[in-house]
Amino acid sequence: MSEERRETKEEQGLAPVPPQEELLIAIERYLAAGVRLGTRVSNAYLQRRGFVFSVRPDGLRILNLRKIDERIRIAARMIAMYDPERVVAYSAKPYGFKPVEMFCKFVKCRALTGRFIPGTFTNPNLNHYIEADLLISTDPKADVQAIEEAARMGIPVIALVDTDTPISYVDLIIPCNNKGRRSLALIYWLLARQVLRIRGELKENEDLPVPPEEFEVKVSLEGISQ
Amino acid sequence: MGYLMSIPRVERPRPVLHGPGVPVCTSCGKPIKPYERATHFLCPNCGKAEIWRCEHCRRTGNPYKCPVCGFEGP
Repeated sequence: MSEERRETKEEQGLAPVPPQEELLIAIERYLAAGVRLGTRVSNAYLQRRGFVFSVRPDGLRILNLRKIDERIRIAARMIAMYDPERVVAYSAKPYGFKPVEMFCKFVKCRALTGRFIPGTFTNPNLNHYIEADLLISTDPKADVQAIEEAARMGIPVIALVDTDTPISYVDLIIPCNNKGRRSLALIYWLLARQVLRIRGELKENEDLPVPPEEFEVKVSLEGISQ
Repeated sequence: MGYLMSIPRVERPRPVLHGPGVPVCTSCGKPIKPYERATHFLCPNCGKAEIWRCEHCRRTGNPYKCPVCGFEGP
C-alpha cells in the first residue's frame, strides 16, 4: 500500500521528503522535562509562525519540539558570536537561578539573578554597572526592568518565550516552557552544551561533564535550595 | 486645471549623499534616527548580514527577515 502511494507521489512530480534532522537530545528527555507545554493563553504570533503544535481539549497549548530544537541551535550560534564576558544571562524567577548560574559557569558569561537593580545597564556611575552586548532573559514577563534597560541601550535580547509572554524588545525567541523547574534546567543545559560545541571546547558528540539534573533547583520541604 | 495636467513629469536623478549612510530597519525599511532605541546584530542563523531593528518594530514584535539566508525572526 505504501509503495503504491510512493509511486503516485513520484508520478505527481513531488519532491521527496528530506530526512528530518536529529534532535539535540532524545525526545523522551524533552517530554519528561515538559519543555513543550505552553499555557492556556493563546499567542497569535507563535501560532502564525508554527511554534504552536496543537491545542489540547482543555485549552493548553503544546509547542512544536522541532522548532524548539531549531531555535536552541540558532540561539547558541548567536551567543557564540559574542565575547562571553559581555553576555549577561538574567533570571528574576527562583526556578531560573540555578540554571542561569550553571549556564554562566560553563559558558563563562555573567549571571544576574534576583532583583535587577535599576541602572545596571544604563547608569555608568553605579558600582554594579555592566557593559553588556547581549542579554539572555529567562522570562520577559518577569524580567521587565532588564528588558527595558536593554531596549534603552540597544542591547539585543534573546528570551525564553511561552505562549503568555510578551515579545516586546525581544530579538530572538526560544519558544519553550519557561515556568517549569526541569524545563528551564534542560533548556539551559542544551544551550550551554551547544555553545561549547560551536566554540570547539566540546567535541561534536561530547556532553557536558554534568547531567541536566545538576542545573535544576532543588526543592525540599524547607523550601528552595540552590 | 488643464494646464496643470500638461506639465511633463521629469525624473531627476537622486542627489548623491556623502558621509556615513543612514541605517535602515530590516523589518519596515524606514531610516533609523540616531536617538531611537534601535538595535543591530548579525543574523543569528548565518552571521553574515547585519540586521537593524527600529524601536517601533522591536516594541511591536514586527518580524524581520535576513536578506542572505532568509531566516525569519524574532
